[in-house]
Amino acid sequence: MAKVEMTINGRSVSGVVEDRMLLVDFLREERNLTGTHIGCDTSQCGSCVVHVDGKAVKSCTMLAAQAAGSEITTIEGLASDGELHPMQAAFRDNHGLQCGFCTPGMIMTAVDIVNREGADVDEQTIREQLEGNICRCTGYHNIVKSIAAGAKEMGSGMKEAAE
Amino acid sequence: MASHLDSNVIPPSRQRETPRAGLTWIGQSMKRVEDPRILSGKGGYIDDVKVPGMAHAAMVSSPHAHARIVSIDTSKAEELPGVIGVYTGEDVATVVDPCPSFASPPVTQHAMAIDKVRHVGEVVAAVVAEDRYIAEDAAALIEVEWDVLPAMVDIEASLEAMGDGVLHPDDRESNKALDESFEFGPVSEDFDAADRIIKRRLRWNRSSAQAIETCGVISQWDAFKGGYTIHANTNFYNFIPFVIGGSLRVSPGEMRIIPVLTGGSFGSKVFIHKIIIMTSALSRLSGVPVKYIEDRLEHFTNSDSHGSDRLYDAELAINDDGTFKSLRFTVLDDYGAYLQFGVGTHGNAMAQVTGPYQIGSFGMRVIAVLTNKTQQGPYRGFGSEVTNWVMERMADAAAEELGRDPLELREQNMIQPDQFPYMIPTGNIYDSGNFQKVLGEAKSLFDLDAWRKKAADMRAEGRCVGIGVATCMERSVYGPTEWWSLNNKETPGFTLTSTPEGISARIDPSGKLFVTLHSPMVGNSPETVVTQILAERLTVAPEDVVINYSDSQSGFNGVGPQGSRFTAMVAGACVSAAIKLEERLKRFGAHMLQRRPEDMELRDGKVAVKGLKDQETSFADIALNSSFFRLSFPDGEEFDSGLETTAVYDHPLSTDPHEDREHLGIFYPIVGHICHIVAVEVDPGTGKVEMLDYAAVHDNGTIVNPRTLAGQVWGGTANGIGTTLSEQFNYDESGQFVNPNFAEFAMPTANEMPRNFKLGHVETPSPYTEYGIKGGGEGGRLGAPSALTSAVEDALQNYGVKISALPITPPVLRGLIREAEQAA
Amino acid sequence: MYETSYHRADSVADAASKIGDEGKYLAGGMTLLPTMKQRLAAPDTLVDLTHIGDLKGVSVNGKEVRIGAMTTHAEVNGDAALQSACPSLAKLAGGIGDPAVRHRGTIGGSIANHDPAADYPAAMLALNATIHTDSREISADDFFSGMFETALNEGEIVTAISFTAPDKGAYEKFRNPASRYAMAGVFVADHGGDVRVGVSGAYSNGASRNSEMETALSGNLSADALDGVAVDAGDMLSDIHGSSDYRAHLVKVMAKRAVAAM
Repeated sequence: MAKVEMTINGRSVSGVVEDRMLLVDFLREERNLTGTHIGCDTSQCGSCVVHVDGKAVKSCTMLAAQAAGSEITTIEGLASDGELHPMQAAFRDNHGLQCGFCTPGMIMTAVDIVNREGADVDEQTIREQLEGNICRCTGYHNIVKSIAAGAKEMGSGMKEAAE
Repeated sequence: MASHLDSNVIPPSRQRETPRAGLTWIGQSMKRVEDPRILSGKGGYIDDVKVPGMAHAAMVSSPHAHARIVSIDTSKAEELPGVIGVYTGEDVATVVDPCPSFASPPVTQHAMAIDKVRHVGEVVAAVVAEDRYIAEDAAALIEVEWDVLPAMVDIEASLEAMGDGVLHPDDRESNKALDESFEFGPVSEDFDAADRIIKRRLRWNRSSAQAIETCGVISQWDAFKGGYTIHANTNFYNFIPFVIGGSLRVSPGEMRIIPVLTGGSFGSKVFIHKIIIMTSALSRLSGVPVKYIEDRLEHFTNSDSHGSDRLYDAELAINDDGTFKSLRFTVLDDYGAYLQFGVGTHGNAMAQVTGPYQIGSFGMRVIAVLTNKTQQGPYRGFGSEVTNWVMERMADAAAEELGRDPLELREQNMIQPDQFPYMIPTGNIYDSGNFQKVLGEAKSLFDLDAWRKKAADMRAEGRCVGIGVATCMERSVYGPTEWWSLNNKETPGFTLTSTPEGISARIDPSGKLFVTLHSPMVGNSPETVVTQILAERLTVAPEDVVINYSDSQSGFNGVGPQGSRFTAMVAGACVSAAIKLEERLKRFGAHMLQRRPEDMELRDGKVAVKGLKDQETSFADIALNSSFFRLSFPDGEEFDSGLETTAVYDHPLSTDPHEDREHLGIFYPIVGHICHIVAVEVDPGTGKVEMLDYAAVHDNGTIVNPRTLAGQVWGGTANGIGTTLSEQFNYDESGQFVNPNFAEFAMPTANEMPRNFKLGHVETPSPYTEYGIKGGGEGGRLGAPSALTSAVEDALQNYGVKISALPITPPVLRGLIREAEQAA
Repeated sequence: MYETSYHRADSVADAASKIGDEGKYLAGGMTLLPTMKQRLAAPDTLVDLTHIGDLKGVSVNGKEVRIGAMTTHAEVNGDAALQSACPSLAKLAGGIGDPAVRHRGTIGGSIANHDPAADYPAAMLALNATIHTDSREISADDFFSGMFETALNEGEIVTAISFTAPDKGAYEKFRNPASRYAMAGVFVADHGGDVRVGVSGAYSNGASRNSEMETALSGNLSADALDGVAVDAGDMLSDIHGSSDYRAHLVKVMAKRAVAAM
């Protein structure tokens, strides 16, 4: 058993879990953060993507023990006070989700893309960087559109914050 | 002239809300009501549900395609701390009976195998434990001794199998599950009289939907009441108690099925009855609530939702002038190890088997073969995606043999706008349409003339560029006769005839319109479309509509999202509910305003006196008075308190199959039309296909929400692209399923989708449904394979490559190119 | 996943002392954890190397490049000095898996695992790299000994790789449509007219050099120079994603495309 301490969505948490427990199971079963999903078990689908120390990671392919001491952000940590994060809002505005099961992972990947590539990220880059996130509902068309729109909105938010 | 269709009389329309311009909410791209909770991670899917005292199940699955179970040793697993119980198929059979089967005669299937396994992944034992980690540890300790039997993998070889190669020797002497022949109209005469017969052998290989969420169940046996409380991500929660009650040995009313938000279905979660039965048995045996969520491997190998797997020998009779006369085929269907839905997927295809063309007769022999693979279930198209492809392949083949332009030949044979309702040889009708207009829009959206010139120029430079066009039907609003109409006439088995959909609705004194749906959300947009339709019909603001879901004990009737039916059907229920509510609103409102009900109208959420501006009272006021101040109104039942109603809408237009099956009746009549045009380039070095441009025009009648409909078209098209270019389940000769995971089964990512995807809509309203709505949930996958296959064949015209099997993966295309190079 | 115990090492020596007989070193875990989830591997101990500071980072000194074993693919891809000294390797790292894999996966983990379809091994061969371990240095030619096999001894830890940047290099791959691993990945590097060709994904004995191609290209660095080279399908992997003939063909096509991109 391992004692793991980490910060999840800004809150310090700790738990004593089996060493083999996956981060995704720690989030879902121990912390009741069920917005992070399990889709494929083999690290392809990306439904389980969260941010570990600011970087997109597949939480089904990481032990909770590996994440000890890290700062974790999950889909539940994006919106605040009933206000959707600009990327979440962009998915709604552009109908970027249907069943919604892949959506939390898509959005966490999308925010990571914008963090790395900036607000003017182009369509080709978005498509290439979504290779680790599979959606069976949308055909990706509106997801790509949502991310481009969310990126612009995040960019103007960053600009406002800087001013 | 007498026809086999004379006895199939089209009933009159029961449409109440006519299609019309100037609607307020229907037709708006309203943002989805469903989204905020999903976007913030609070959706509530099956694996998010936790029940007090819940234990977790893990399964032991067969590593063999066909084997007898000699023994199962569970002793080590039982000793593991945290294990509550370990159960084999024989244990499960003490509390449940075999699964329901729509096949006639049925093929026996146990939710957990007994004595024998018939495909890799079939479950033989389960562990119930405190958590899933322990359950899986224990499952790994269970030892099974097997007596391996010959695996039937090849469809034609399985037909010939004897002895140990027969899958169900107790039910059937051979692996031929069904062999029925049909002639709809003068097939032989038409073939004899035709100038030419085009023949093709066409192969459609197996794949499946693979929604990103697998199937899951939480079941809790109530030992005191003797029933089950079940959470499950089935499409069909209001109907499934009636399907599985017999298996669970309880009456349907003793099951409470609670729906959850469902992470994609595309047909794959229509029933999921097997794991509901299995998990329920585990709860009953262990005495605790049990959660079972399929892992991805189990979803691939045991989820009973594999898609079509068929071999066609097809013939199209034509005249030299290009006229299509008759179509016939023999189809061998590799159904897998069981036959849960009979040949319903072939019944479905009878709705539109002759495509958008005037073809006078149609004949078919269908042979369903049992093999040692996971059995088929529904997948977006439910069999019609295959016959669409067969029809379009035959149209391309006819054009090639006649030396005609494939598009122009299609236009020559198309049903004309003044021929609707049009009855096809099987007896189904196409209610309405304007195929020429759809084609025209698609051509201009794609800029076909310019592209044809450009493609020719690119080919002249040595590039492999081609264009494909498909003009296909999209049947919607299914009637359930498809499940049994092709069964043996003497023993048709399961014979349901209607597919009702209901809602309940209540206006409370806060002024909110509370609506309860009786079907789940599976990735469609039920809350959004119902909000739009009721806002339209009752003049309320969409933000005043609050949507909830019933469970199987609190809501009836609902058949759910499948067969592209939900929006059109629930629209009927909404209209029925609105008519009933309107009557009560007017009665109470008229009394409050001291007017007659017939003087009143609904206006912006108020009951108002026709033509008078200020003479009105709000729904909230009426609800307040009718609910809390009943005594202010006259005596009599018509003033019973409250504004509440339930409403059920039945299939708008169906007739029964002819008793001698001269025709199959009208069963899938609300018919859309689609045209897909795609330009592709094939990399001859690798065989990889790139889509350069894509246009799709769909006619789904009156559109409720253009944005959500577009989402369905894009998504279905992506599924169709995957089916065509990459997705296939591979079995080796020993029956091993070689690629049952996302690392081996190749689905398209964002990077494989066309960059230029243009979508257009034509609206030809149905004369039979409310507001003229048609379904649109499957069309993308019903059109994309045909267009893409044609385009790839066109791109490889310099090699003379012909495509007769899907998928056309890079190595397949590279192999065809190499053969052509070697021949040259 | 079977039970296991996790140790986070703070130094190479600490790691070596914890590994035991049945333990495994854990780098990014992009292969090891999925394998354990499928119960195909059952180490009793996992020793996490990713927090050992000495094993991380890229250093470039003129044409001499050294990359710490625990440097992630994203860090290799984004290293400005490497992008200028050996852009082909930086680009290769940016094409491994997907962004989430690149954030966790490491160069040391990739080469120590020697998945035949991984990208780095082809590069190591073509770059004539040296693999540094806690006890010795091994040339890439000697390191990759067979599919999922390397010259590493039990308990030996890869600490870094180093190489002299080539004059030019390029990597082209054809991805498996499902796993996104290379079905044929060819790294061509020109070391002053001496051309080395490393191939991933195709050979049944793992990453390999193709000496016929090297000979053909060493006098004439052009795609046409490969026209006469026959790639032997007998040496190739064969599976549902491509026969050995198809892979042999792809190796040549990718090699030509790599040369054309140089």
